[in-house]
Amino acid sequence: MCPACHSLRVDVVELSGRGVVYSYELLHHPQHPSFEYPVLIVLVDLEEGVRILSNLTDAHAADVEIGMPVEVHFAPTAGDMAVPQFRPARMAP
Amino acid sequence: MSRQALRGATAITGVGCTEFSRHAGRTELQLACEAVTAAIVDAGLDVADVDGIVSYTVDPVEETELVRSVGLQEITWSSRIPYGGGGSMGVLAHAAGAIVAGVADVVIAYRAVRARSGATRFGGAKVAPSPTSGHAGTTAMQWAMPMGALTPASWMGLNATRYMHEFGVTNEDFGRAVVQLRAYAATNPAAWGYRRPMTLADHQESRWIVEPCIRLFDCCQETDGAVALVITSTERADHLPNAPVRVGAASAAGLFEQEIASDHYRPNLSVMEGSVALGERLFDRAGYSRSDVDAAMIYDAFSPILLMQLEALGFCERGEAKDFVADGNLGPGGALPCNTNGGLIGEGYIHGLNLVLEAVRQLRGDAANQLTDPRTILVSASRTGAILTRD
Repeated sequence: MCPACHSLRVDVVELSGRGVVYSYELLHHPQHPSFEYPVLIVLVDLEEGVRILSNLTDAHAADVEIGMPVEVHFAPTAGDMAVPQFRPARMAP
Repeated sequence: MSRQALRGATAITGVGCTEFSRHAGRTELQLACEAVTAAIVDAGLDVADVDGIVSYTVDPVEETELVRSVGLQEITWSSRIPYGGGGSMGVLAHAAGAIVAGVADVVIAYRAVRARSGATRFGGAKVAPSPTSGHAGTTAMQWAMPMGALTPASWMGLNATRYMHEFGVTNEDFGRAVVQLRAYAATNPAAWGYRRPMTLADHQESRWIVEPCIRLFDCCQETDGAVALVITSTERADHLPNAPVRVGAASAAGLFEQEIASDHYRPNLSVMEGSVALGERLFDRAGYSRSDVDAAMIYDAFSPILLMQLEALGFCERGEAKDFVADGNLGPGGALPCNTNGGLIGEGYIHGLNLVLEAVRQLRGDAANQLTDPRTILVSASRTGAILTRD
């Protein structure tokens, strides 16, 4: 339910996939066999105002900064599904 | 009923606990039974006097099992608190409210855990949303787990990193608080950290769990054990053997868009806004002053949230907890002695309830690290809390 208007109608909206890093962390322990460690996690504030928890790829952990522009790409995961991942933005918004 | 209706109307008259260990070798039910019966004996009451029970939604001990095992005769009221450990101090508001409302006379609050030897270690990797409020986990967890954020440390680390960024806080700043907690634990025979003091260098050499905020020594101890409290009306408590520890104020604040441990969707994560609201309720609305507080027991599952709560509850300005800690204010002679049992980091993690146990002991005058004549103690689990007094 929409907490603002209590509507139950759901729609799919395509987003730009662009945002900035709100926070980040590098996970060392404990290690689960499904992931390669250290795991780089980011919170991304998308242009449209949505915050999403994801991974940052194509970057060194030491280069991650709060406020850096990032863009989405999709990585394959279990069951022929894909999950959103982010990398440093390559093109100007 | 006014917001001050709870003030001084109820009191903690008994406490009980098991040993805190890494391998209890018995079930949570047995641990709960041991703590509960010890608390009833400590209160000077009989099992038949108990008519109310309250725990956390995530506690594995069923009410019916506890009633049958301990021999409780007739329960008129029971309740459970959501929000995991953040809800831990909520048992006090629920118990006090039930007693003031007249639906229970003598309430037992309990928490029993095998956080270390249980089927899954409390801080271990979880690959499916796990119960945090007695259900199947939150939607937010479904967005964290596919990305590899599988543990409480990984969920809270994102908030801590943002906090460090906003205010120029370093992991060493967290370490200074941990050194104080471990100093308290070192002289508390019940603590995991008994006779194990730690230096800041030790802290800084411990391995990263979540970089750049949480090292091994910033984490609480996964612990097996149980704690129980007996709460009753002040009138009745005044005729019981122990000096009553009065519930001066007790409240909670669960905010819109606030999650449990994976709390990532409030606009500003550098401030624990639930604790800001809790502080307003416990102090400003209930008529207490922060300067009345002689000591504080603050939920320290991970060291960053200890500093963040100090700020949010109003004991120091935003970003100044690091200086407050560095100046020694959490120590026995400081402005706000904190977690004098060693906290969840130094003593053990009975999911927060051992912090209430410590507050009661301090106010009764029989704590391992006894302060000089404390009369008012704050207990906070960030979104639930209470002010306990001896007067």
